[in-house]
Amino acid sequence: MAAVIEISGLRKTYRSMRRGVRLALDGFDMAVEAGEVHGFLGPNGSGKTTTLRTLLGLVRPDAGQLVLFGREVPTALPQMIDRVGAIVESPQFFANFSGRRTLRLLATTGGLPDARVDEVLEQVGLRDRADDRVKAYSLGMKQRLAVASALLKAPELLILDEPANGLDPAGIREMRDLMRGLADSGVTVLVSSHILAEIELICDAVTIISRGRRVVAGPVADVLSRFDKGEFRVRVFDHVRAAGIIAESGLPVTVHDDHFVVGDLADPAWITETLAAHQLWVAELTPLTPDLESVFLQLTGTVPEPGKRHQVDDSVLPPAPRRPDADENELTVTAAEPEVTP
Amino acid sequence: MNRPTVNLVRAELHRLLARRFTQVVFVLMLAAFGITFATTVASTHTPTRAELVAAEQAADLQREYLRTAIVQCEERRAEALRTGNARFAEDCRSLDPNRVRLEDFLDGVFVFGESAGDLVYFLAAFLALFGLLVGASYVGAELTSGGMTNLLLWRPRREVVLGTKLGTLLGTVGAISVASIVAYVGGFWLLAEAAGLPGNLDAQFWTQLGLLCLRAWLLALVFTTLGFCLATLGRHTAAALGVFAAYLVLWEIGARIVLNVIRWPRAETLMFSNYVGAWLAKRITVYDLCALDGCAPYQLTLWHAAGVFAVLLALIAGAAFVSFRRRDMS
Ligand SMILES: Nc1ncnc2c1ncn2[C@@H]1O[C@H](COP(=O)(O)OP(=O)(O)OP(=O)(O)O)[C@@H](O)[C@H]1O
Ligand SMILES: [Mg+2]
Repeated sequence: MAAVIEISGLRKTYRSMRRGVRLALDGFDMAVEAGEVHGFLGPNGSGKTTTLRTLLGLVRPDAGQLVLFGREVPTALPQMIDRVGAIVESPQFFANFSGRRTLRLLATTGGLPDARVDEVLEQVGLRDRADDRVKAYSLGMKQRLAVASALLKAPELLILDEPANGLDPAGIREMRDLMRGLADSGVTVLVSSHILAEIELICDAVTIISRGRRVVAGPVADVLSRFDKGEFRVRVFDHVRAAGIIAESGLPVTVHDDHFVVGDLADPAWITETLAAHQLWVAELTPLTPDLESVFLQLTGTVPEPGKRHQVDDSVLPPAPRRPDADENELTVTAAEPEVTP
Repeated sequence: MNRPTVNLVRAELHRLLARRFTQVVFVLMLAAFGITFATTVASTHTPTRAELVAAEQAADLQREYLRTAIVQCEERRAEALRTGNARFAEDCRSLDPNRVRLEDFLDGVFVFGESAGDLVYFLAAFLALFGLLVGASYVGAELTSGGMTNLLLWRPRREVVLGTKLGTLLGTVGAISVASIVAYVGGFWLLAEAAGLPGNLDAQFWTQLGLLCLRAWLLALVFTTLGFCLATLGRHTAAALGVFAAYLVLWEIGARIVLNVIRWPRAETLMFSNYVGAWLAKRITVYDLCALDGCAPYQLTLWHAAGVFAVLLALIAGAAFVSFRRRDMS
């Protein structure tokens, strides 16, 4: 598959007179393949929005290369922009205009027919409120309008920065179906979000960023399996005795109140068989595959600890990437590999 | 213009005209014109036969008086020149009996030919203020509301976007100004015809008035551009209005006092307001405080003003476009 977005070595420092310089991106890399839904994850202030702004020509990078549809941006951005629909960090619309008028103006700007406006209004569920003023919209309705504005161009690449912000459960679900549907029809979707369960459900691949550097990137399944230690939860009547029997074989075992966990297990049938031989009947045998949330927390070093309050810039600082970059398609883990406890 | 530009202009025009602020300022400007017009209507009447006859007689008397006065004046002047006292030589031109007009002896009668110039000055001030406010708020609101960022996601060429905005703005303010000037001057002319006196409306009068209106129109566009570019530079409507207010208070008032105290030579050439005056009046004479010590007053012409406007606009507009091209949008 061809890459729709290729970012390498992106650096951005914000300079302001009062607060001095702030390094937002520090040699960041990312690749998004055509037709996939790509999740862009990272703690607050890790540089997601800055990356998307740079890609869209809103922010000037200090260094690095950005390639969109095979052409370098921002130089070629004017030729590419019709193929890209985007929302960046809850866009603000003119409060006195109605939703329909807001979109009509954008459609006029882009030379699109007004009929397209009605289509996207319907698509995001704002059809019946389209003539209300934006200032009378709820947070989620504004967000829906933003999504509508991004869909207006019928883009080949859709960039969504926290689209679920403020959406109700039904809205989140519809958002998910929308993204999936678009991806199935060939649209590439790059979505940043903090709702990891959501990302895990819809994304084909993810990139995790921490303090302006890439921590991990690759297909969701690969990222997760990378942290899969073959652990299983076992429930059985006398679980302490059972744990002892399993531990004799040399496998790592941790005993909990009413169950035990065994690691490094290739074939779970072996547990049933071994315990049955001791007249112990297994009541539950569950694989403990890590979820995206635990992987995320581990990789970014933001696992909540009792009594400790994480501050926004406390996340992991991944080592500076090596240049030139190795194989792009391979699963890349830049961070020192931490332990995953599900 | 190609199709995308037309689309952008259409969208911008829509945005500008739909802005509440634009509409409010426009209505306020119309109200100001309306009040001026209404007070003039209230204080004028068509002179009666008797009034005209009386005024004619008064004017004749005055002409009679001036004819003798000017002869005496010329004699004194010749005498002064002969004895080498050129400094005391009087200027007798102001006693010209041909300058006495009937209108000067009519009370409560609006005479278009006499008042048109002053009325256009007033109009020019309002149009300039209108342009400044609308220009600043138009781009300022877009920059602070995120509307500009949304637009750049559709049109990434920033200089084109900003240029189109400025162009649309100037076109709109220009058109509104033309309409205002025509309605305003036309309104007062009709008023004079209906309930007053037109005065001496020869070709020269109309030429001068036309040129004055043209200068008032250009002045409105200068202020519009200044407001737009200052708000772009400062990223806020208030930036433009603040700079303008600060300039008036700190420079036109504060610095003028200081410069006069330290006897800065030709301090008045540093005041923008003088150029605005010179632009409209074609020529103004200004005096520095040192004039008391014998410095000669000097003149500022509309060409000085044109030069100052051009340099100022080039600097501020250049800075606005360069800064807008390079800045990070959030
Ligand atoms: N306009 C700005 N001026 C100065 N610093 C900025 C600016 N915008 C962002 N930053 C800084 O750059 C860093 C990255 O910010 P960014 O908005 O890209 O984070 P993010 O990953 O989108 O976070 P979030 O999840 O909270 O949206 C932060 O430290 C932030 O403080
Ligand atoms: Mg963000």
